[in-house]
This record gives sequence, C-alpha cells and structure tokens, in this order.
Amino acid sequence: MKPGLRRAALTAHIAFSVGWLGAVVVFLVQAVLAATGRDDRLAQAVFLMMEPTAWFVLVPLSLASLVTGIVSALGTTWGLWRHYWVVLKLLLNLVATVVLLLYTRTINLTSAAARTSSGAELRALGLSPLIHAGGAFVVLLVALAIAVYKPQGRTRYGRRKLRPDHFMTVCHKVGGKPA
Amino acid sequence: MIDRQSSGSEGEPDAGTPRWVRVSAIVGGVLVLLLLGLLLFGGGQHGPGRHMSAGGELVSQGQPWR
Repeated sequence: MKPGLRRAALTAHIAFSVGWLGAVVVFLVQAVLAATGRDDRLAQAVFLMMEPTAWFVLVPLSLASLVTGIVSALGTTWGLWRHYWVVLKLLLNLVATVVLLLYTRTINLTSAAARTSSGAELRALGLSPLIHAGGAFVVLLVALAIAVYKPQGRTRYGRRKLRPDHFMTVCHKVGGKPA
Repeated sequence: MIDRQSSGSEGEPDAGTPRWVRVSAIVGGVLVLLLLGLLLFGGGQHGPGRHMSAGGELVSQGQPWR
C-alpha cells in the first residue's frame, strides 16, 4: 500500500475505533442512569435511545473499525498474522463486534419492555446493558493499549517470513525463476 | 493500530512465544470458562432469551425513531 493510502487507512481506523470507544462510554453512562436513576421517565427515555444508538452508532463504528483495521494490517509490513499483538487485537475486535451484533436483539427487546415497565422492574432492565457496556469498555481499552504499546513477539508464521530461505524464495519468485 | 513501521521493529529478537502472550491466553481462557460456567449453571439467565416473556416474544411497541 502506498504511504498516503496507508496513512488514510490508519487515520480512518483510529477515528472509527476511538469513536466506538466514545460511543460505548456514552452507552455506559446511559445504562448507569437507567439502572440507578429515580426518574422513570428518564429511564424510559434512556432505554428508547439505546436502540437507535446501537443500530446507528455502535454497530456501524464497530464494523468500520474492524474493516479498516484489517485493511491497515494487510497494507503494511505488520501483516495480519505476523505479530501476536495484531492477532490479539483482531481477536478482541472480532469478539466485541460479534457480541454487539448478538446483543442488539436484547437491546431491541429491552427498549420494548421499558415502555410498559416502571419502578424497580424498569431499573432491573438496566443491569444487562450496564454489564455489557462495561465489558465492551474494558475490551476496547485493552485493544487501545495494545495498539499503542505494541508488545513484541512474532507468531510462528511471522518468524518463518523472516527466515533468509523465505527471502530467497520470494526473490526467486519475483525474478520469475522456480523456487 | 498506530503506525510504527519505520521504528525498526523488524529487527526485534523473536524466540518462542513471549510471556505476555501466554499470560493473555491464560486470562482469556479463564474468562471464557467463567462465561461458559455462567451460561451452563446460571439457569439460562443470560442472553436475549431472558428478555422474552414466558409465552413467546415480547411484542414490539413500534420504533418511534424510524
């Protein structure tokens, strides 16, 4: 990938990932308000907002973060499977995205249930979003830390790519000769 | 994913699996086991199903944001 394109992909990845983390923080605050607040109308409003927040903010940002992350990795010498930190970050991103997609169903049902609930019943609905948003926040924070610190270590595949014999094979292939 | 391609990371010493990877794998494994334990022994109290009524799916009241 050309340097300009590489930086554009990286910029997009950082923007989507940080945006996702920020949206999760907002969702977490909403869940805290819904689970602990005393105002039923506020709690109901929060539950109603969770559904569009999930569909129009969280899901698009998570998918965009995943796609731009894969593009950034494949377009640079980091690769997708060469370094443990890239693999672990991909795994965290995938798990967070899949759990979010599965959880949207619960959010839809919780929003619907909140319309007819009140008092303690309404507060109890806020526990599940609170736990899931808290988990998502921790996972995304760990992914962010991994991206910044980039702990060393190559995978077996990454070490194989470093070997001189592999380098010679690539050189032969580029030159059109049999490896 | 912060770009650090030009920082010389290609020359890092790589011998076997780093300790942080093993520790992360153990922590991840414990978390997965805990989650499985909750799913199996939590009486099915986790997941989308717990937001459904006993008789079937909860009836949606419409989506005012659409």
